Amino acid sequence: MKGLVHYHFTTYFRTYKYVPPFSVFIMMLVINYTYVPNPILDSYSYTSIMLFFIMGWFTITIFHAEDEGQKQITIMHAKNKKVYYISLILNCTLTALVLCIVAVAYPVVFNAFTPGLHSIHLVMGFLAHFSLAVLSIALSSFFTRGLVKNNVNSWWGVISILIGSLVISVEKVEVLKIKLINWVLPPLRYSMEIMSVDDQSISFPVKVYGQFAWIFIYSLIVITIFIAVMEKRKAL
Amino acid sequence: MNPIVDLQNVTKSYRDKLVLDAVSLSIPTNQVTAIVGKNGSGKSTLLKLIGGLIKADRGEILYRNGEPVRFGYVPEVTPTYIPFTPIEYLTHMGTIRGLQNKWLQQRIHTLLEIFHMKDNGNNRIVHFSKGMKQKVTIMQAMLEETDLLIMDEPLSGLDLEAQTEMEELLISLKERNISVVLTCHETKLLQRVVDQIIVIDQCNIIQTENHQAQEKSMNRLIFELTKTVSIDSIKQQNVIIKQEKEMGFHKKMIELNVSEEHTNKIVSEFLDRGASIKLLEPLHKKETEFLNQF
Ligand SMILES: Nc1ncnc2c1ncn2[C@@H]1O[C@H](COP(=O)(O)OP(=O)(O)O)[C@@H](O)[C@H]1O
Ligand SMILES: [Mg+2]
Repeated sequence: MKGLVHYHFTTYFRTYKYVPPFSVFIMMLVINYTYVPNPILDSYSYTSIMLFFIMGWFTITIFHAEDEGQKQITIMHAKNKKVYYISLILNCTLTALVLCIVAVAYPVVFNAFTPGLHSIHLVMGFLAHFSLAVLSIALSSFFTRGLVKNNVNSWWGVISILIGSLVISVEKVEVLKIKLINWVLPPLRYSMEIMSVDDQSISFPVKVYGQFAWIFIYSLIVITIFIAVMEKRKAL
Repeated sequence: MNPIVDLQNVTKSYRDKLVLDAVSLSIPTNQVTAIVGKNGSGKSTLLKLIGGLIKADRGEILYRNGEPVRFGYVPEVTPTYIPFTPIEYLTHMGTIRGLQNKWLQQRIHTLLEIFHMKDNGNNRIVHFSKGMKQKVTIMQAMLEETDLLIMDEPLSGLDLEAQTEMEELLISLKERNISVVLTCHETKLLQRVVDQIIVIDQCNIIQTENHQAQEKSMNRLIFELTKTVSIDSIKQQNVIIKQEKEMGFHKKMIELNVSEEHTNKIVSEFLDRGASIKLLEPLHKKETEFLNQF
């Protein structure tokens, strides 16, 4: 497994496909924090949604970094499709982790916030970014080449599902009133609700952590379904 | 000779489409077998069945008397973009396979030697020609010790020079006691190396020896030697014993056919045993109509 993760990472690194999304991500941070001071949680909420989209971009490029023919060979050596896809997901998650740290640290390092920054803000900021990034990986994985043959469709698919998830969360759409559907839809809105409180509040109820946990659990379930579907596919 | 893989009444279909209908064939040990047929006739499917990558619907696939066969599989599509050098690439693949690093480095060294790629071990594969990329793809299939190398269309897309080099490579693999099964469109290209041809047509197969190739490059040898000298070890090599008869009390005469490539070796082994050459002539060339239809 370690060998596979390392291989995927090196392949991705050497294809330079990370350059465009990474540049856009940094640019977005720079622009967002051009004027100071900025509200803390509000800013984090905004950049976490940006990361939610950019992570879709990263996910597709990480999944598609390897040559299509080589993919068959690599899976053969790994002797196991599950391990292969877990390794890709791990690479996405590691990338997400780095981006989250950058997104949380950037405004602190450059003193872009209004006074009153508390360590709990950093924790909440990190959780908001990381949970949405992982959710984005989970949703985007379904539009990678294993399931979507056409590259253009991959991009449309990812953009649609990410925008769709956001719209459902922002506009309190009618269907949300039905409890069951509520559970099935991507739980983007939890993070947004949590992050919409005032910067003055430095104590968060335990429920908040539960909601973040749910975003991670939801993502994990989606990823598990994705890997199960990929394993079922026979094509070799 | 013992087959390394034996297919008995193997049937395979994809959903409703029948690809192979009760096919029986055997892949001989230490020989090169070519599978030919039209596009979509089921060549790749047959290779995957032989290599155990897919399962047959019915029938049996038997491997060399219980002994496990170590396969190397070279897929039809040669990867075009690999951002590594051969050494880096093979190290990655070997590590993913779970091979121990020290052993792996040794093996990669050996492979680079076999494939005449030592000078290119540290150059990026992206800059390689199609033929060299193909070689790297074959090397990855042989990272572990290999008994049977399975290659899907190894010649497609290669220029004449690379094809010739591939032929030589096949000969050197054969000398290393590696059995080879490959698919191709045209048998003409490989006549020098292919020992057996399997033709797939409409879900059935015709299995033939490559007479043309054999007769073209075979020599007939006759030796005379002392009766008590053992030649059992020679008999186990790539020779066809035609006859053996006693001459008087001490001597015996042996007639055999040997392929051109092995002639030198066999002759020197006989001479080492004190034999004397009575005859050495090339076998008659005969065009076989059969092969020309492909
Ligand atoms: N995974 C698959 N699912 C469905 N049909 C397949 C699959 N693989 C091959 N086939 C069909 O089986 C037939 C034989 O394919 P293949 O073995 O690839 O032929 P060849 O290698 O001789 O071109 C073709 O008609 C092909 O469409
Ligand atoms: Mg084929």
